[in-house]
Amino acid sequence: MSDNVYGMKCNSCGTVSYPKHAVCPNCRNETFIDVVIGGEGKVLTFTDVYALAIEYETRYLRLAIVELDDGIRVTGQLLDGEPKLGMRVKTVLGTVRQSGETAIQGLQFVSA
Amino acid sequence: MNPVYIAGAGMTRFGRSEWSLMQLASVASLAALHHANLGDIPVDGVVVANMGAARMNRQTALGSALVDQLALYPAAAESVENGPASGASAFKVGVQAIASGMADVVLITGVERMRVVNGLEGTDFVSSLSHPEAEYIYGVTLPALAGMFARLFMDKFGVERKHLAMVAIKNHANAAKNPYAHIQQTVTMEGILTLPEAAVNNPPIAEPLHMFDCCPVSDGGASLVLVSETVAAKIGGPKVRVAGIGQATDTHTVHEREDPTDLKSVRIAAGIAFDRAGLTPQDVDVAELHDAFTILEIAESEASGFFPRGEGHKALERGETQLDGTLPINPSGGLKAKGHPVGATGVAQLVELTWQLRGECDARQVKDAKVAYACNFGGFGNNVVASVLQREA
Repeated sequence: MSDNVYGMKCNSCGTVSYPKHAVCPNCRNETFIDVVIGGEGKVLTFTDVYALAIEYETRYLRLAIVELDDGIRVTGQLLDGEPKLGMRVKTVLGTVRQSGETAIQGLQFVSA
Repeated sequence: MNPVYIAGAGMTRFGRSEWSLMQLASVASLAALHHANLGDIPVDGVVVANMGAARMNRQTALGSALVDQLALYPAAAESVENGPASGASAFKVGVQAIASGMADVVLITGVERMRVVNGLEGTDFVSSLSHPEAEYIYGVTLPALAGMFARLFMDKFGVERKHLAMVAIKNHANAAKNPYAHIQQTVTMEGILTLPEAAVNNPPIAEPLHMFDCCPVSDGGASLVLVSETVAAKIGGPKVRVAGIGQATDTHTVHEREDPTDLKSVRIAAGIAFDRAGLTPQDVDVAELHDAFTILEIAESEASGFFPRGEGHKALERGETQLDGTLPINPSGGLKAKGHPVGATGVAQLVELTWQLRGECDARQVKDAKVAYACNFGGFGNNVVASVLQREA
């Protein structure tokens, strides 16, 4: 499904980076393959943010940085649970921002 | 490199202004030019720092526009956009021009007019510095990044909300002595934290950060006049030398940093600045740190080398960073209370430090200040400019 979130795996050293870069931050190689980013992991940190940007009509957003079990870290929206540092979550794909007619898809986290 | 001196410094009062972008820039520039007392010595170059005029004020090419306002033709002119570090970046460009011998007198003006747009639009504009696919689309704003940083930092080092409040109380008290500050009002621990009313007075913005942990949105301009040694000798007056500048970058996304609580770019930039100055953090008498959020003053005070890692809040608790402490931090009131017109901030930090080194700060004067340090924190730490200034006899 094209809605997946992709990172990159370096063709030379195998390092997975997310988001993508033009050059591997580990070995400076310039060729990669796409890898799907997602799975289970733990909440590294989170916030309930009330200072929102345009295009959000909610009172606040619960955002988190999650460290996936494969070591990759991602930023996304935490949907449920009484958030706690270290809590187990899994990624799902959903609409993270509505920009005019366009529903932007991205990573959300739910309790694992 | 040839020595570079700051001959003049001036700014507008920060806050909500009815003035146009160019009025803010012109008033600050003229204040700095008058302060420098150049006589008939011409200005060779103008560098304007700004982040959002193209979007918020529908104006571009600000360097050329300011030359025109000030009738400084045919001076060279450029504009620098480097996020919240635009101010110190413009300063660096001016210093390089003089240090290389390409110019003798350069005017640096930082300016931002943000209150012309509503809060959502303003927050969205600043958020556009975050990673477009991995942060921005999720609704990440600067307060959100600061909230996530604060949660992790506080958990790791035992920093409590009372420590954040201490930063706010100190900086508001300093700003109350600064006629240029946006908010000239003191606050108390009771009013923002411990009384039941504090929940109303100080609502959450990005947990664990509350309103009094966040800087206001301000309009304002700030300017510096940089000169070569020859010009400094001609005009006389107090000599403030640019002792060293350091700059460092880090990953665009906060989540890609090995330790997201480590402000590596501050550490590297400060190290370079002190090395170039031939000084150490222990030599600093007064510092302006980029406290867009209270937690950042604590974290930057450690990463800049003033206190060991994890101990910035303890130094704060001991009163060391108060106006009469061993290392006064943010005598101007900082971004927290002086205000944060984004493109002007990095210049305004250096304006305050120049005045401090010249002994011109009246009620908020740090006694006998000889060495000063500024940290201008761009992105959420992905681009930092550190500067060290020194008063010469």
